[in-house]
Amino acid sequence: MANIAKKVSWSSRAEESGAAGERTLLLNGSEQPRLSRQLSGGGSVFQIGRLSTVDLEEEITSDEDSLRGRPKEIPHNEKLLSLKYESLDYDNIENQLFLEEERRMSYMGFRCLEISRWVVCGLIGFLTGLIACFIDIAVEELAGIKYRVVKQNIEKFTEVGGLSISLILWAVLNASIVMLGAIIVAFFEPIASGSGIPQIKCYLNGVKIPRVVRLKTLVVKVCGVICSVVGGLAVGKEGPMIHSGAVVAAGVSQGRSTSLKRDFKIFEYFRRDTEKRDFVSAGAAAGVSAAFGAPVGGVLFALEEGASFWNQMLTWRIFFASMISTFTLNFFLSIYHKNPGDLSNPGLINFGRFESDSGAYNLYEIPLFIIMGAIGGLLGALFNVLNYWLTIFRIRYVHRPCLQVMEAMLVAAVTATVSFTMIYFSNDCQPLGPEHNEEYPLQLFCADGEYNSMATAFFNTPERSVRSLFHNQPGTYNPLTLGLFTLTYFFLACWTYGLAVSAGVFIPSLLIGAAWGRLFGILLASITSNGSIWADPGKYALIGAAAQLGGIVRMTLSLTVIMVEATGNVTYGLPIMLVLMTAKIVGDYFVEGLYDIHIKLQSVPFLHLEAPATSHWLTAREVMGSPVTCLNRIEKVGTIVDILSNTSTNHNGFPVVVQVTGSDEPAKLCGLILRSQLIVLLKHKVFVELARSRLTQRKLQLKDFRDAYPRFPPIQSIHVSQDERECMMDLTEFMNATPYTVPQETSLPRVFKLFRALGLRHLVVVDDENRVVGLVTRKDLARYHLGKHGLEELQVAQT
Amino acid sequence: MSLYKNSQFLVLLALSTYALASSVGGNLTASDSADKLKQSLSLSPAAPVVVGVDSPVFKPGVDSLFSLNLLSSFPEDLEISDYCSDLLHIFGQRYVAYVNCLVTAARPVKVCQNCFSSYGSLTNIYTNISSDQMGPGNVSCRDSLLRSDHLMLVYLLYSNMEDIWTKSACDNCIKGFQSLTNDTLYFISTLNQTLTCFEKYQQGNHTELCKDCKNAYRDLNELYSRMETNLTMCIDIEDSMNMTRRLWSKNFNCSFPREETVPVIAVSSFMLFLPIIFYLSSFLHSEQKKRKLIHPKRAKSYTTLMNIQDKLS
Repeated sequence: MANIAKKVSWSSRAEESGAAGERTLLLNGSEQPRLSRQLSGGGSVFQIGRLSTVDLEEEITSDEDSLRGRPKEIPHNEKLLSLKYESLDYDNIENQLFLEEERRMSYMGFRCLEISRWVVCGLIGFLTGLIACFIDIAVEELAGIKYRVVKQNIEKFTEVGGLSISLILWAVLNASIVMLGAIIVAFFEPIASGSGIPQIKCYLNGVKIPRVVRLKTLVVKVCGVICSVVGGLAVGKEGPMIHSGAVVAAGVSQGRSTSLKRDFKIFEYFRRDTEKRDFVSAGAAAGVSAAFGAPVGGVLFALEEGASFWNQMLTWRIFFASMISTFTLNFFLSIYHKNPGDLSNPGLINFGRFESDSGAYNLYEIPLFIIMGAIGGLLGALFNVLNYWLTIFRIRYVHRPCLQVMEAMLVAAVTATVSFTMIYFSNDCQPLGPEHNEEYPLQLFCADGEYNSMATAFFNTPERSVRSLFHNQPGTYNPLTLGLFTLTYFFLACWTYGLAVSAGVFIPSLLIGAAWGRLFGILLASITSNGSIWADPGKYALIGAAAQLGGIVRMTLSLTVIMVEATGNVTYGLPIMLVLMTAKIVGDYFVEGLYDIHIKLQSVPFLHLEAPATSHWLTAREVMGSPVTCLNRIEKVGTIVDILSNTSTNHNGFPVVVQVTGSDEPAKLCGLILRSQLIVLLKHKVFVELARSRLTQRKLQLKDFRDAYPRFPPIQSIHVSQDERECMMDLTEFMNATPYTVPQETSLPRVFKLFRALGLRHLVVVDDENRVVGLVTRKDLARYHLGKHGLEELQVAQT
Repeated sequence: MSLYKNSQFLVLLALSTYALASSVGGNLTASDSADKLKQSLSLSPAAPVVVGVDSPVFKPGVDSLFSLNLLSSFPEDLEISDYCSDLLHIFGQRYVAYVNCLVTAARPVKVCQNCFSSYGSLTNIYTNISSDQMGPGNVSCRDSLLRSDHLMLVYLLYSNMEDIWTKSACDNCIKGFQSLTNDTLYFISTLNQTLTCFEKYQQGNHTELCKDCKNAYRDLNELYSRMETNLTMCIDIEDSMNMTRRLWSKNFNCSFPREETVPVIAVSSFMLFLPIIFYLSSFLHSEQKKRKLIHPKRAKSYTTLMNIQDKLS
């Protein structure tokens, strides 16, 4: 708001000074740089006014080169945009080659394409399901071994004394398993750390995250998640499934693996960003569906995250992939559980069956649910704030891989220690049930035939703990146990998320929520005299889990459906929805969702659904980058190579212009060409002179571009001799002859809408005579956001 | 605890079926004394059996007493044959015998050891009733006794008993309604050894008991857990083991004491101290990561724009 006021005052002053239009607005601003600098107090955040004024001041007083020579360095913070992220080319490049290929393609060809899309989706679902199955079985077996070893040890030392040795054994086992996982993540593929959902969100938003969908990432992700869950960290394996599904999709749809250097010569048509991203959304959906046994939830997740590029057929295909994924997982798990053919085994996390009579709810419980939603929102906000500060600290100080590995090991050891201490000092003993819900019951100091109730929560994989909180009979946990468990697990989970291990935050959130939800239910039952009839602790555990998860990740529609599907009980739809709604409202009042925070901290140029409010006064002219490096339609090879090799201006798209003869005015726009295309052209030496001399030379086809996709060689690897530098290149055939353009006066929200809805990468700003004046890219748009002091601008930084 | 609950539940179940059989239908609760139960027990079998047997020959005069609530008799061919009513009578007697046995063996649970023979005979008669084979006079009692009405009382009664039998898993301890299995006998003898040991020291110091009976108790525990994994266990064994364990842990206080608090606290506080050192040292010694700011080429656009406009003007 302040900014707008400022702007108004500027323009009024501009009128006083008699200069015309928007231009003077900024010139006038330079009169008061002192003032604005004081306003923002030396922080790294530039308000719009200040940035322009400072820049202008530099422009006038000193030359730009000296400024570049000593770049300013600031500590990492959330208000930066990283240079390393680029846009995907979602928009189709309609050059002559493309049109020609399309003309040549028969009706049958198009039918085959459509069929192969379905085949690819089926394969994506199948492979994702298989991976989920593999992770599940591996975790179950390895964790089983670990817990059995520790259990035996504890039993032995309970008898003869020396339990501190068991503690050390447990801590060392955890730390060493986690070390394995952290090493492969930190040293081989840092992008595989975390849950991967922020990265996939960015990818679906249209940001090309380097190396995010590679085979190596998948391998590291899968091994990493097994290690971290088996290592006893407060993590889940569900989030990484979504990333894995996305990688599978990106790999399968290309019909080859660049890492393995194998090309199966299939699905070549899909080798471009447009098709690939559609498949990646299918893969993400398949991942969700495998993780939670929620096919519809998966589709909705993909819809929620990639909503700007959507159509009915795609939705249907994605649903197909989801269904196949659930089916595959169920089928193989049924074989593993030795009753093949039983397809009713839902997802990786299995909430178990909620019997409808114990879970019935009544009108008077609705306010209670809403209160629980609010608690979930508050706790979620607290979680996110703590994790935000921790992540900033990690980025600034714990950035060396070996430090990251050490940190992960420490967290693992401390998790084991805290768990052990809690179990050791717990006095909550419960009798063993006849059907043995407890996988690894620890007796410790309990009477024979009883087990330590704290141990069911801590001495177990998190999924099992969630299930026992949902389904164990009333009275299985006493309130003190639950309270302590909630408290410690909250901090452990908060500390763990963001480590250099691949692990998700879904299960820990569910676990925290289930614990305090159950506590809530027990307290309710004890307050009301005959309350035990309606306050079923399991039901409240479920509601609490939903509230906590909603408060942390702040997903809306998809999360509701995922929870309902994972519960397998549609009657819970209403309470879960209410709870998630409240949690989101309350949480958003304080801080954003965890994934959004991490996207921001990674300095990704993420385009939100809408342009920031109060930004209509900004026009394309202020937003765009300028001057633009343009190429002529027939350009000298030397010039192109020089432009591409210039490291300081790492541009990716170049408007192609035609010079009006006999005039030194800027030339008119006639097309747009990408760096990747130029590199392929240079590699194949498509020079005018060569074409003339060698008449038989094969014409370059779209296939050549697809073969180089997605890893185009860097310009340094392309050798161009001195003679060739003098040759000319005709770009007419290859450039996109009809790029999107906007006039200079277009407002920012308009530019934003066009950019986001069409998935553009470059938007050329032209004047009224179709001459290029600027170029709008993703980073130009993503840098505006609405902060506490009105519209703020993020800075571009090298990371 | 829940084993205990289960057995309580069994008793209740037995009682309720009993109430059904006796058609006393009063507010029987677990607190009712056994004597009262016995009374109703002696009364009960008469009612259904008598009605079943005698109803075809009821005199109209007797009938008039019941005329308000009983229909008059049916023609001969719809009524059950004598053979069937005999079977029903025997069924009733054996049923009573089994329930009687169950109730007396409810606590401590000995339903398998004590009642297997009566259950065997009950099953026997029920198989007779429900068999396809025609009895004398070419009648099958299956249809007339079991399936004539929707209450299916005989079936209901029997299935309740069958439930009790399966729930108590007596099949694991009993060999074909003949005798206890060898495993069970062995367990009982081991249990008796332990209990004699307990008795020996019961009066004196419990610490001595803990020390001297430890071996016997451990053997028993091991045997029990072996049987648990082999699934050769019935409610009798479970219950007796539960009681023994409770004696051992609660009455004699022989479970392990929490003795090593100090070393555990020492080790865990050391572990908790490590991250603090780690974060402090990385804060102090690690070089803070700085980001190089890139200045966007935006200002220059203005100069060019200005130039253009200057030129235009």
